Amino acid sequence: MDTTTSAPVDPRAHLTSPSTRAVLRVQHRVLDAVREHLGGEGFTEMLPPVIGPVTDPGARGAKQVDVDYYGHRYKLMTSAILYKQASLTAFDRIFCIAPNVRLEPLETSSTSRHLAEFHQIDVEVAGASRDDATRVAENLVVHVVRRVVERCAPELDVLGRDPDAFADLLSGQAFDRRTHASAVADLHDTGHAQNPDAEIDWTGEALLSSKSSRPFFLTDYPKGSRGFYDRENPAAPGHLLNFDLLAPEGYGELCSGSEREHEYATIVARMRETGENPAKYAWYLKMVREGVPGSAGFGIGLERLVRYLCGLDAVWQANAFPKIPGVVSP
Amino acid sequence: MTALRADTFPEDAVRERARLGAAAVFPPLSDYGGALLGEPQGPAPADALDATRLVPPVFMPRRLEKLIDLAREPLHGDVDLESTVGGFAARLPLYLSAFGSTRAVGTDLGRAAAAQAGALGIPMVVGENVVPVDGFTGERSLLARITAYADHAPDGVGGVVVQQSTEDADAEVWNRVYSDPATRPLLESGRLGFELKVGQGAKPGIGGLTVVDRAQADRLAGQYALEPLIDPAGDRVLRCASPGTFTDEILRQQIRLMRNNYPRARVWVKLPPGRDVAAAADVAWQAGADAVTVDGAEGGSGWAPTASLAGVGLPLAECLRRIGSPRGCLLVSGRVWEGLRAVKCLAAGATATGLGRAALLAVDENPQSGLTRLVEAMTLELRLLISALGKYHPSALSTEDLWSPAGWPVPAEQVVAARG
Repeated sequence: MDTTTSAPVDPRAHLTSPSTRAVLRVQHRVLDAVREHLGGEGFTEMLPPVIGPVTDPGARGAKQVDVDYYGHRYKLMTSAILYKQASLTAFDRIFCIAPNVRLEPLETSSTSRHLAEFHQIDVEVAGASRDDATRVAENLVVHVVRRVVERCAPELDVLGRDPDAFADLLSGQAFDRRTHASAVADLHDTGHAQNPDAEIDWTGEALLSSKSSRPFFLTDYPKGSRGFYDRENPAAPGHLLNFDLLAPEGYGELCSGSEREHEYATIVARMRETGENPAKYAWYLKMVREGVPGSAGFGIGLERLVRYLCGLDAVWQANAFPKIPGVVSP
Repeated sequence: MTALRADTFPEDAVRERARLGAAAVFPPLSDYGGALLGEPQGPAPADALDATRLVPPVFMPRRLEKLIDLAREPLHGDVDLESTVGGFAARLPLYLSAFGSTRAVGTDLGRAAAAQAGALGIPMVVGENVVPVDGFTGERSLLARITAYADHAPDGVGGVVVQQSTEDADAEVWNRVYSDPATRPLLESGRLGFELKVGQGAKPGIGGLTVVDRAQADRLAGQYALEPLIDPAGDRVLRCASPGTFTDEILRQQIRLMRNNYPRARVWVKLPPGRDVAAAADVAWQAGADAVTVDGAEGGSGWAPTASLAGVGLPLAECLRRIGSPRGCLLVSGRVWEGLRAVKCLAAGATATGLGRAALLAVDENPQSGLTRLVEAMTLELRLLISALGKYHPSALSTEDLWSPAGWPVPAEQVVAARG
């Protein structure tokens, strides 16, 4: 298998290679396990929209894709967050396998962990706290990994992935959690210049991730680093009741989640703090104004999870038709 | 030359410099040996900065330092003007201030100014609303101005700073600029920045205004408020952009989000000449802004109600007084077109001064070299005036170099009160 971070030259060669086929079978098993676990926990699977008048503004400079919808400027979804919150007016526990398109900055083409088109395992729970959400995420990841280890031994063998890599994850010990501030302090101690007000940069994430032998949560990101929907901690203003889940072995972020803002006035003010124009969010704000449940939830990057499970060098290897940012691909 | 006018600005003098360059710094050569020169008896000073004088001392310890350094008497040519302007290396303590989509900048003036600013090695700000009105690519577009600059800039100096208004945010201007292959050389050499526009210099409290025809108005409907009252007999419409809502927390978090989203770009923040300008500047610097730019109420190139132009907002001198000793890089503009006013601004705390209307008029006078000549004249004046103060770098200037009948420095307690 081509282990460089460059895109596959030819879709046929990529799709027919034994390693890609093994990876895609693992991906299939992951989706099975997600549905098995969340279905058993009382979640309803929803099908998320692909286009809409507005989408998650996201962060880190990714551009959205405009679609001409009968003369109106619509967007391809960058995440399902707005629809996840809205869906809680139908069901208390929902999940979806959501396709997302983000035209990431060109510099992400060399991170080995960005795709312009990818999928998220998106979960949202009404009335949940951040701790509830991390518990759901942890149980889900443990279940999926266990199923892959149980049922994908031949595929892992083809890929040269030692199942013992997951022994610590499956040991029954809870995932560690640490705050963003303590992670920044650690990075500063190692000489890495991490901006304390921002997301952990990709190099920093890899450094933290490589020191661990099982996934761990990073919590309490500073406000200016995330979207308007991550809830600010009333007890610690300027910090969010959110989390990332990082994979070990240097694979980095698997998942982002949070307790959500759901009060109308707070959301409008937070939109301004993130430079957003509330007028764009008319349908969403109308729903929020009329009331949506408080909630917490998360999105796991499917290709990133599969990359970690399969021990791949780059995330594009976990996608049948990968689109590396800036690379023209089928 | 076009029909561009600036009735409230020393337009003739700027156009003369755009033609003559440094020769226009002095009285006409024909007067030499004949005319007896003294303080010109012109009109009363237009504002407090004009009424302020530069006051060289008799004793000059810094000149002695320079003399020891050089082993000869220093001259004006020994003034080093290289500066760090908002995180960019600049040949001069100058930058090209923003002008956006207003019609006065249409056609080729934007590109002409960009090319000369690039060659001069001074940073350039590209104003708001260019993308929604003129597009991202194409002849008049944002990218055309950026590439005109980049094609002429020497290695390692200067930088391009792109503004984004509320409407630009809908068009994702920063995301596009940050990810466009054409801007990659600037990004990779640390010469790309984004300016958060908190308000309008010439019309504090009001958003950007331009006049458009009905057909264009129909195209922009939904993106802007449109005001038909200004042209009852014709079909022209006033297009009003939103000024945006800010609190200290909104400003702080928007800056942090910019630093989070665009870690390789410089972050500039443009403040209107509001009464709490000092407090706002402090919030911006503390949140990590590389520069705060302040436009005095006398500045601005765009369309505005006459009432705003006549009586809304603090003059630049008062902004400088209220900010006092800046915590970070302070960039100011407002009727700056020659070296004297620029040196006064630098002595009052600014790191660099912006050329707005002056630059537009200069390139209007001569699209090939008008701005270059205007800056050549300013450069000579900066050297002459700074060395006259016994100093040899703009950063050495301070309020001790200023005198005004009202007294320059603001009492410390007023500065503290203004900062809240």
